[in-house]
Amino acid sequence: MDKLKPIFARLNKFPRVALVVIGLFVALGTFAPWLAPQDPSAQNLLQGGAGPSVAHWLGTDHLGRDTLSRLIIAANTSLVSVGSVLIIAMTIGILMGTIAGYHRGWVDDLLMRVVDVGLSVPSLIVALAVIGIVGPGYWTMVLALALAWWPMSGRISRAVAVSIMSKPHIEALRVLGASPWRIYFGHLLPGTIGAVMVYATADAGTAALAVATLSFLGLGIQPPTPEWGQMLVDALPYLESDPRQVILPGLALTAAVIGFNTLGEAIALNRIPKPLTRRMLAMRRIEVAGWGKENSDA
Amino acid sequence: MTLNRRSFLQASSVAVGLAAAEAAFVRIAYAQGAAGTLRVAIAKPAGNLDPQSHYAIWAIQDLMFEPLVKYGKGGQIEPCLATDWKIEDGGKTLQLTLRQGVTFQDGTAFDATSCKWNLARWMGKDQYSWMNCSKYFESLDVVDDYHITLRFKEAPLALMQELSYTRPVRFLSPKSVGADGKFIEPVGTGPWQQVSADDTQSVFERYNGYWGDKPSYERLEAKVISDPRSRVAALRAGEIDLIGGFWVAALTPEEAKQLETAGFNVAIDPGNVSLVMAFNPDRADALKDQQVRKAISIGIDRAAISQALYLGYAKPAGNLFSSALPYAGKQHDAPVLDVAAASALLEKAGWTGSPIRSKDGKPLTLEMVVSPEAIPGSRVIAEVIQSEMKEIGIDLVIRTVDHASKHTDMLEKKYDLGFFLTYGAPYDPFGSVVQLCLSTFKNDVEGKLVTDAANLDPLINAATAATGDQIEPTIQKVYDWLYDNDAIAPLVYVPTIWAHSKRVQGFTSPVTEYDMPYEKIVLAD
Repeated sequence: MDKLKPIFARLNKFPRVALVVIGLFVALGTFAPWLAPQDPSAQNLLQGGAGPSVAHWLGTDHLGRDTLSRLIIAANTSLVSVGSVLIIAMTIGILMGTIAGYHRGWVDDLLMRVVDVGLSVPSLIVALAVIGIVGPGYWTMVLALALAWWPMSGRISRAVAVSIMSKPHIEALRVLGASPWRIYFGHLLPGTIGAVMVYATADAGTAALAVATLSFLGLGIQPPTPEWGQMLVDALPYLESDPRQVILPGLALTAAVIGFNTLGEAIALNRIPKPLTRRMLAMRRIEVAGWGKENSDA
Repeated sequence: MTLNRRSFLQASSVAVGLAAAEAAFVRIAYAQGAAGTLRVAIAKPAGNLDPQSHYAIWAIQDLMFEPLVKYGKGGQIEPCLATDWKIEDGGKTLQLTLRQGVTFQDGTAFDATSCKWNLARWMGKDQYSWMNCSKYFESLDVVDDYHITLRFKEAPLALMQELSYTRPVRFLSPKSVGADGKFIEPVGTGPWQQVSADDTQSVFERYNGYWGDKPSYERLEAKVISDPRSRVAALRAGEIDLIGGFWVAALTPEEAKQLETAGFNVAIDPGNVSLVMAFNPDRADALKDQQVRKAISIGIDRAAISQALYLGYAKPAGNLFSSALPYAGKQHDAPVLDVAAASALLEKAGWTGSPIRSKDGKPLTLEMVVSPEAIPGSRVIAEVIQSEMKEIGIDLVIRTVDHASKHTDMLEKKYDLGFFLTYGAPYDPFGSVVQLCLSTFKNDVEGKLVTDAANLDPLINAATAATGDQIEPTIQKVYDWLYDNDAIAPLVYVPTIWAHSKRVQGFTSPVTEYDMPYEKIVLAD
């Protein structure tokens, strides 16, 4: 239990509402197939647009499908697609950024100009172009968004990599004759990933919105897979007669986006360096003293 | 001055009041400016109105250009620019008497010379060979100023029906075309003449020299509002008076219901366009088996689709054409959903197992291509069918495409199941039968609903070659073949929906989806 204390202490620093929303989103997304009370695709046309009842807690959509189950399964769809987009985008971005930051010189110039080009074109336009060429579909959408997303993480990871590379311990490693692989994989990459992950959290909300936008345009997830953007567009004709159908997926999407943005902001703020505590200073002194010993042994 | 709670509340209530007053004032100003003007919504700019080009909105061309004969209710041919016609020589000669006292909007007289000039622009040209009268055209003789004779190599099928089409047959002033033969401006004999046209609206004024009954109001504005919801909002705000029509600015049944609840007048006509599902056995081997096609057809709950998605306005279809069309053939009842029978048929065809059936290790997966832009509401219908197919063990994959891709995919037959709309009056039944079902006819726009060179083509050719009493039994054979082979799955007859404000009185739905229903309208003050 004591081991969990620092974790709780850390979590305490974050906005609680955002944590709860994101926690709920991730939990629902992960366990959606077990949590959904009904088959999200089971239609009952003659019960279309029914209000909340014991059988359907949040009512049904225009095709008589259970709204609650669709919202829950849609959380899974969003989580998987957003996660995939970010993982692919971060992998490309971090690789490009760290190589540029490690190598500097012409490699840095070349890679960063590629990033500049990527950044200069709005991400949704890139995604639309890719989908236009390949054709709509779930994985096309994920790939298209990842291609549109990576330049940002490329730029950030390069900045982080450059700052890490200029730190004294890297210089020390070089002097000690550490191999480039060791510096890259042992010191540069882990440091960069940590920093970029923070931005990924903030980006998750935007990515969720982009997934919803593409589905809203009919270019992303194809039926019958439930998706919040798709649910919104399906419900639009009923905006006046049955606003519940529009409001529910809209609320879910808004909560997820705001949750991610608030959380991302909080993490970023928490990473601002703080003065070292007395205990930490003492620890460092002991460690530095140890170095002298090692050297004398050599 | 300090801002306290009281002054803040005062200032904000004044601001809210002013805004409300301004909105009311704008509405009054709008209504005043609109006196004597019918304002119609169109979904896209009217486009190049040349009757020989194929881009304009039909209903806008209908305002200005008139045909020799008009297509009336139930396919009745009525006089328009021709007052009388005689078909002789077994259908190979057409004697036309032209209406006297008709002038084009630029003052040019409409007579045999201008009639000949117009017909010579398209009749007998390759590009228009999809029309029988153009395909079989032989000669055109001017008898006198108001009589012409048209001769054909063979009797053209549905000749008078073809002469009522909007394009390319309608009449244009010879002066509206430049010396190089290129179209300059739209000038017809119709009751409306164009004042201006741009991407936001087309404005028309009543042509006071019109030969027939002149409209009771002076101006007609066709306003471009591409977003369906904005169109409905514009009608509610009093910015437009009339919306609807399948090809003008389509209204969904749901929107119509909402407008009706809000106190607008809604006119729903059973319509003469059918929504039909096509099978593509060339791509999906499973569909080669008639039992599979039949199983799919009876696996669809047409009544529920009509009730839930068309709010009961659409009639479930059992035929290619509804009885509203001439020569529509014997009317079969729409197939009724029968999951057990559909499953039994699939079992018999060798497709077994669950949840998805398979045969020789191959799952029964079919791809359906839909384009909601091209056929409004088709994606939702596809979703319903997807769920119904799952019930009988068919895995239906939906591929949503844009309008342009739909045309290329349908042409290249890149679908297993797809939706088609028949052309409706005045083109049908022969328009859709020939263009969508005859394998030798080149259709570069929609692709083919169903083709069978060996079995279906001879039946269609016999039907199109028939005359008089023979037409009915020969075209019935085409319908029978389609029905007996389950070659297509008709779904619903799509209703025509129009909605208008209280300002518009005397509205009647147009006879075809290609006309603008301006004729009987009287604008209230």
